[in-house]
Amino acid sequence: MSIINVLNISKQFGEVQAVDNLSFDVRPGEIFGLLGPNGAGKTTSIRMILDIFEPDSGEISVLNGPMTEEKKNHIGYLPEERGLYQDIPLERCLTFLASLKGMEPKDIHSQMTDYLKRFELYEYRGKKVKELSKGMQQKAQLISTLIHDPEIVIIDEPFTSLDPVNTEMVKDMLEMKRDEGKAIIMSTHQMNQVEELCDRILLIDHGKRVLYGTLGEIQNQFSSKDIMVTPLTELPDAIDGVREIKKLNGRFRLILAEDAAPNQILKNLINQGVELTEFEIAVPPLNEIFIQVVQKKGGADND
Amino acid sequence: MTKIWQIIKHEYLRHVLEKKFLISLLSLPIMVVVMFGVAIIVILFSIDDTPVGYIDQPGILTQAYEREQDSFFNPKIDFLSYEDKAQAQTALESEEIQAYYIIPENYSSTLLVELYYLDEPDSDVQSQFDQYMRQNLDTLQGLDPQVINRLENGTQITIADLDGEREMGQDQWYLVFTPFVLGLMFFFVVMTSGGYLSQAVVEEKENRTMEIVITSVSPNQLMTGKIIGNIALGLTQLLAWLLFGWIGIKVAGRVWPVVQDFSLSTEYILIALLAMVPAFLMVAALMAAIGATMTETSESQQISGLFSITMMIPYYLASPIMMNPSGAIATALTFFPFTAPITIMLRMALTVMPQWQLILAIGIIWLFAIFAIWFAGRAFRMGMLRYGKKLSLKEIFRKEIRA
Repeated sequence: MSIINVLNISKQFGEVQAVDNLSFDVRPGEIFGLLGPNGAGKTTSIRMILDIFEPDSGEISVLNGPMTEEKKNHIGYLPEERGLYQDIPLERCLTFLASLKGMEPKDIHSQMTDYLKRFELYEYRGKKVKELSKGMQQKAQLISTLIHDPEIVIIDEPFTSLDPVNTEMVKDMLEMKRDEGKAIIMSTHQMNQVEELCDRILLIDHGKRVLYGTLGEIQNQFSSKDIMVTPLTELPDAIDGVREIKKLNGRFRLILAEDAAPNQILKNLINQGVELTEFEIAVPPLNEIFIQVVQKKGGADND
Repeated sequence: MTKIWQIIKHEYLRHVLEKKFLISLLSLPIMVVVMFGVAIIVILFSIDDTPVGYIDQPGILTQAYEREQDSFFNPKIDFLSYEDKAQAQTALESEEIQAYYIIPENYSSTLLVELYYLDEPDSDVQSQFDQYMRQNLDTLQGLDPQVINRLENGTQITIADLDGEREMGQDQWYLVFTPFVLGLMFFFVVMTSGGYLSQAVVEEKENRTMEIVITSVSPNQLMTGKIIGNIALGLTQLLAWLLFGWIGIKVAGRVWPVVQDFSLSTEYILIALLAMVPAFLMVAALMAAIGATMTETSESQQISGLFSITMMIPYYLASPIMMNPSGAIATALTFFPFTAPITIMLRMALTVMPQWQLILAIGIIWLFAIFAIWFAGRAFRMGMLRYGKKLSLKEIFRKEIRA
């Protein structure tokens, strides 16, 4: 079922334990968020999957077995440290990188034309890469990641340097790839994008797995018993079962007492004659979960 | 294999299509043409074909002066006969002639002539008069025909080795000249393609393309492709220069006929290739390794400068090598892979190298070439993803890395 299977991998660089007994799997047709603070071991894990580094211990299976040269043709990688050949025209640069993925010249041409048009780079195809803006280079790099229609797409911070319009376009493209059944591993610090796009996530810190599961499962795991309400009428000063009321921009956060249940609170509010436009069990934003988890572990170290 | 081919093509084209390459390709022939041009202009300005006078008291010069080969830089001089010294002196002062000779009555016993001039005529004028005299020697009474023959034709020294396989005549000066030129060409080609190679690797690290490339091909494929691509680049340059050289010889042959006899033995070419090819591979591989271990282009250029200094050693020591081509210095440089190709070519031109030395020296170069490729492979795999951090020699040898 899974297209990538990582089992108990560890990697040490000198004294530093970059990855520590890490396991996860990635399935076709999902966007998998690989999250963690700087220096947590994300890039090292990705490089081990790509066979750039060999793990000290553990096993990695990609497309049903160990990595081979042939399998590299079915992987698209957008590294964190980005770069294209600066001194040659965009078209030649993309053609070369696509040919290294084993594509036939005629396929390269048609695919490239298609992508260049879609990313609004077609008029710039004859320009040297260094003459393109940062955002354009970013889009060009995405083309080289996707042009060979890879089964596995690994992208590191895909949205940096992109304006909101291009960000939406890239998101649409990633969702389209997911719907085609491709497996996408996305590493990013933009938690709002993770919330919008990712089906499952893995949060690592100091090389260890900290959180792993679907977005919903994880948010549930961290949801407090707080309730968000937006009343039309005044809220009473005291509500049965509510320990504290916090006002936030016209909304209220109700912090419940130990033994209170949300259903009971709703009943109490209605009984007290409060009219509501919103009653919601507060789901903590991923951003908060991230900070909470990482800080509890003793803070992030830097790259 | 197709991927290696793509890399070769990419490496080759990205440089060949650049202006920089064309400039470096043309710079050497242009430099040579300019140098020769200047030399030719200087010679042209110094040529003086004003006639030369003579007073032939014993009446030796009965046959008219004939020149065997007329050349552009040494035009035929006309010799005008005068009755007496006063006439000749007037002609000299009115610049009708540039000098005059007096062949005295007692020439057959003294064999001395007198030369009068205002500005000394150049050596060619004197040698032409010499030739004129020789052509008329048989009119001299009492000279042995053998002596006349010797005087007319001069000496020809030919040195031959003991088994008579090789000889060298004094007019085959180009045999000494050739290894110098070939060596210089070899040096330039190796340094240019080596330079391109380390630059290509460092650039790929600097602009971070490396990571994408090695998730598409294996490090060995990448290194092989790069080395072959850049060697092809160097060979393109070499071929272009040889072509220029050939055109140069053809053109120069019209002016200096001796150049037209230029040729090299197959044996010489074969041994030169056997020594140069692995040396080329060795330097190329080491340059790739430097590119992989260094983090900035400028650093890699400094290190490659060390290679070029080492390779130039036979030129610094050219005079002791030529004085004693089988001496200690020449022999030592033969067994050091960086200096071996040029030293071998020099020694082969000047002496007969013992066979065991030749075999050992070429063996050493091949061995070093293989080692360099192995070393580069390791350095490459370890260094390619290091950004901003140099790879130390110790690490390359010690660390366990992925094959």
